[in-house]
Amino acid sequence: MCTQRIVLVGTVLATAAFGLAAPAPAAPTAETIARNCVVCHGPKEAGQLEIPKLADYPARKMIEMMTGFRDGQKEATIMNRIAKAFSDEQIAALAAYFANR
Amino acid sequence: MTTRRTFLGASLGLGATLALPNLARGASPKVVVVGGGFGGGTAARYVKMLMPAAEVTLVERDKQFVTCPFSNYVIGGIEKMQTITHGYDKIAKRGVKVVHDEAVGVDPAARKVTLKGGRVLDYDRLVLSPGIDFVWGGLEGYDEAAAEIMPHAWKAGPQTVLLRKQLEAMRDGGTVIIVAPANPFRCPPGPYERAGMIAWYLKKSKPKSKILIFDPKETFSKQALFFESYENLYPGMIQWIGGKQGGKVTKVDSKKMTVEAEFGEEKGDVINVVPPQRAGRIAQVAGVADEKGWCPIDPKTMESTKVKGVHVVGDACIAGAMPKSGTSANSQARNAAAAIVAMLQGKEPPEPSYANTCYSIVAEGYGFSVTAMYSATPEGIKEIAGGVSKLKAPPKDRDLEAAYAYDWYRGIMYDALG
Repeated sequence: MCTQRIVLVGTVLATAAFGLAAPAPAAPTAETIARNCVVCHGPKEAGQLEIPKLADYPARKMIEMMTGFRDGQKEATIMNRIAKAFSDEQIAALAAYFANR
Repeated sequence: MTTRRTFLGASLGLGATLALPNLARGASPKVVVVGGGFGGGTAARYVKMLMPAAEVTLVERDKQFVTCPFSNYVIGGIEKMQTITHGYDKIAKRGVKVVHDEAVGVDPAARKVTLKGGRVLDYDRLVLSPGIDFVWGGLEGYDEAAAEIMPHAWKAGPQTVLLRKQLEAMRDGGTVIIVAPANPFRCPPGPYERAGMIAWYLKKSKPKSKILIFDPKETFSKQALFFESYENLYPGMIQWIGGKQGGKVTKVDSKKMTVEAEFGEEKGDVINVVPPQRAGRIAQVAGVADEKGWCPIDPKTMESTKVKGVHVVGDACIAGAMPKSGTSANSQARNAAAAIVAMLQGKEPPEPSYANTCYSIVAEGYGFSVTAMYSATPEGIKEIAGGVSKLKAPPKDRDLEAAYAYDWYRGIMYDALG
């Protein structure tokens, strides 16, 4: 019994540990990603002058811009490099997040 | 069965009991943050924002935060010290308790931080964001006394002013020497941006002068962009002596005003030494630093792999592909704050998303950048995508990126201390 118990415990813990790491790498939420964006794009209070604000940015336009930057159809100084990090799904999620801010 | 239950209970409940002594007693969770720069400010601000019930204390030695970013523009004369000097009043208004004192001890078993002034702070989670310390004597001849003659200006403040004054006092036709360090160090593009900014000043005021950069490295951040900008803006003024050319400096002499490199000895009128570095002292004291002086962390939570309950962010930590920059510190701290709040609530920490952007301005209206997005992997923090500005970009792009640098500065200051 004693041995069996130890094995059981071991299995439960191993499953729990695997459960955290096993399936396709977990993805950050749109909010987690978006918090990086505001460092340059800012909330209004930060007082940016040149970089476009993202709060209430129209979703369709953001998807068009981000996929355009990513796929090389739109010129940019910096966003072309950053946009390559995101899938269509992530871009759509970011667009939805900012459209409702 | 009792044994098994007890064992499982102990395993699963570890977070709820050991990690949350204050919550277990029904009190507010306590988070202490040491270091009020980009990492510490952001960590304190976001923990308080995500968990208003938490008692968040920010321990910072100085009354004002003088930023290293933009300090090169003070040295070049396009900005004033006032632009890069910030108080802690705004973050205090957001409910973060700001204590101006120095953390001198950490007891991770008792979860207590001791301050120089004698106070002892309890914590459920501790964030260390101590930045860097210089390894005095790590370069022969360079100690704290020598730094008053050959400034490092690698912690912004009086040293920034000292280097600027020395440049103002220098004769036309003088030689400025910049001694760049080996990797890793704070702000990888910094020495080369500084060369550009010093050239900006010299070109206008002392055009017969020259700048020598002694460097043990064979490559550095944004190298092609810096070389292109030196050629475009300051032809013949800046000479880089890299590792292959014998650029490794082995000794400096602050009395003779010389540097000894593998390449030979050189005399300078102004000598700026960026010394070897390691994580700030409290990281060494707390036992979170490794034998090289930097702090290994869990890439998902920024928790120290050496001491549980302590998270290390910013220049002090080993963050894989991320450079030691203000934006890296800010991004690490934001993700660490989310992890800390989840842990305090007994939840699984969320998947992080890390980012870095570093702008360099080498003349008024001439900027470029390096940027990347990163993810946490079991092997460490890895780059997903990123890169540097295009070479041969039109002047309007360089002008835009210089303007964007100012917006970045406004944004990060707001995110960290605003």
